[in-house]
Amino acid sequence: MDQVVIVINPGSTSTKMALFCGEKRLAQEAVSHPADELRVFENVADQFNLRMKNIDDWLTAQGIEQKKVVAVAGRGARLRPLKSGIYRINENMLNDLRTMRYSNHAGNLGAIIADHLGRRYNVPAIIVDPITLDDFPEIAKISGVPEIERVCRSHALNIREVSRLEAQKLGKKLEQCNFVTVHMGGGISVAAVAHGRIVDVNDALLGMGPFSVERAGAVPIGALVKMAFSGKYTEQQLIHKLSHESGLKGYLGENDLRKVEQMIDDGDEKAALYYGAMIYQIAREICAMTVVLKGRFERIILTGGMAKSERLVAALKEYIAFLGDIAVVPGEFEMEALAAGAVRVLDGSETPNDY
Amino acid sequence: MQEVIIAINPGSTSIRMALFNWDEVISEETVSHPIDELAVFDNVADQFDLRMKNVNSWLAGQNLEENKVVAIAGRGAPLRPLEEGVYAINQRMLADLRSMRYSNHASNLGAIIADHLSKRFNVPAVIVEPVTIDNFTDFARVSGVLGIERRCRSHALNIKEVGRREAKKHGKTIRDSNYVVAHMGGGISVAAMKKGLIVDVNDALLGMGPFSPNRAGALPIGPLVHLAYSGKYTEKSLTTMLSRESGLQAYLGETDVRKVEERIAAGDEKAALYYDAMIYQIAKEIGYCAAVLKGRLDGILLTGGMAKSKRLTGALREYVSFLGEVVVHAGEYEMSALAAGAIKVLKGEETPKEY
Repeated sequence: MDQVVIVINPGSTSTKMALFCGEKRLAQEAVSHPADELRVFENVADQFNLRMKNIDDWLTAQGIEQKKVVAVAGRGARLRPLKSGIYRINENMLNDLRTMRYSNHAGNLGAIIADHLGRRYNVPAIIVDPITLDDFPEIAKISGVPEIERVCRSHALNIREVSRLEAQKLGKKLEQCNFVTVHMGGGISVAAVAHGRIVDVNDALLGMGPFSVERAGAVPIGALVKMAFSGKYTEQQLIHKLSHESGLKGYLGENDLRKVEQMIDDGDEKAALYYGAMIYQIAREICAMTVVLKGRFERIILTGGMAKSERLVAALKEYIAFLGDIAVVPGEFEMEALAAGAVRVLDGSETPNDY
Repeated sequence: MQEVIIAINPGSTSIRMALFNWDEVISEETVSHPIDELAVFDNVADQFDLRMKNVNSWLAGQNLEENKVVAIAGRGAPLRPLEEGVYAINQRMLADLRSMRYSNHASNLGAIIADHLSKRFNVPAVIVEPVTIDNFTDFARVSGVLGIERRCRSHALNIKEVGRREAKKHGKTIRDSNYVVAHMGGGISVAAMKKGLIVDVNDALLGMGPFSPNRAGALPIGPLVHLAYSGKYTEKSLTTMLSRESGLQAYLGETDVRKVEERIAAGDEKAALYYDAMIYQIAKEIGYCAAVLKGRLDGILLTGGMAKSKRLTGALREYVSFLGEVVVHAGEYEMSALAAGAIKVLKGEETPKEY
């Protein structure tokens, strides 16, 4: 009988599910939930029954009764800042998620669903590397203004998994290596990963760093203050603009990187300018993170969906090749990372933490 | 008596004046103005009479033979974006300065006072490498938000002079050298200087980059927006906070880094943390600029008043020496750079540009 790990990764309009046997993916599926079905719930946690029905249907279709479930891994939501690693799901955590203590994002359901399945199959249920970590040394938390703290918020799950895989290729453990790992998706996280800890990262959502296909990164502060007081925006509108209507979307009206590349191929000089500027900003951020590591790192890793673009990777390399080796690992490996976390708990190579 | 160039460099609370016999300094003086005397003027240009009194009484003590004065050089303030070089002072420039068109900074008085003295002595007056000389590439101008542009504003006068001197040491000119120059004073400018041109710089006043003894640099944008809408600030009070009451001043109540270092030596851990955080941010900014130059740089030049601190330059070296040779030019060369600009005009090597 197959020993399987169930992996659950809820997004805002869909739920990704997978079955892994060790590192091998047996099945994976993303079920979309109609937006109007979800909208009736003010608290994301109340979508539980709706989403569970889809999950149960899928598990049944996979013949889950004929398999031996050994663990369940859920996507970690925003919780209180935690050291990176694996966390057992406990009542404390579930309570914070159900009461929306730190956020009301679909990710909250990751632990809630994993806990439910863990009880059903009487196996351990865990989350791995939640979004907000407490990995920063004090020095990286300081912004320059006492009212504002820099936070370690990033695509930590993928960043640490890709870094771990790269360490393995070097015949080392993640804890023995330093990397600058760059996750380039809808948001862009450029992380200094020192011995497995994310000791600095830009914070891709309303933080700093490069702009992305639709998000602003760092901008001149005086101009931003002026915009806030211009009377043209409510706080919510400005936040929306900065997180959804900026970057390539703001300049070109397009947030699909492939389409922007097509525009460039068609001779659109404006598209070439803003595309180039985004790469310029990513390159700057990468070099800054190598400084955080004082130049002592094994390699720079480019990952996420945008790393699939050969054009982008080549342009980026022009700026940063002088810094050292560059590994390109396109795509993202969140499901694999969740399964691998469960496997490490099962084989005893990593002890889960308590929340 | 020798031929004399008068150099005038007004700062926010003091004015520096020097007499040069060509490139040799004959006399130099800094006169402080009591802050409460200055504070009564909303427009810096209105401090003219007050400041002129000090300038005149200093000049009166210099045994100046009027017919030996050959030129006046004033510090250039923020103006519209300009090509590098030496500028004649004309009515349009004076009008922009008097109407605070681009800023209300003490340096506005540089051209105003130089113009006044030029009329008195009937000699040419120039400004040299003003704050807004602008050689940004198109990429460097893009912020990530439509409606906000990154601006090229820096301590260009000293930055370029330091570059010139360093190049000369190696038998080269600024035109065949690339440097990252960090000017560290009350504001901190970290510039990528490519063949003598400042192609990227953080913009030390309400722009981006590291925090300084009393200014904020780049900040997480979401929390900054939140602060703007908090109801606790007007646009003016928030701008004042970010440009004068942030950085070490906010965290430690101290802007004098010598005093901060004394506190650290006496065991003040908080002082050490925030001081080190400022250094950390400067180091990261140097990284940004190294990427802009694609790693092709002839040196990292540390200059400005703070470069006198061995502790600071030592810590910076630890972070960035892997990127290139770190050279310290402690203090600044603004006065001799002003004189050098006037000399080029007098010798006919450079024709002053029209504003």
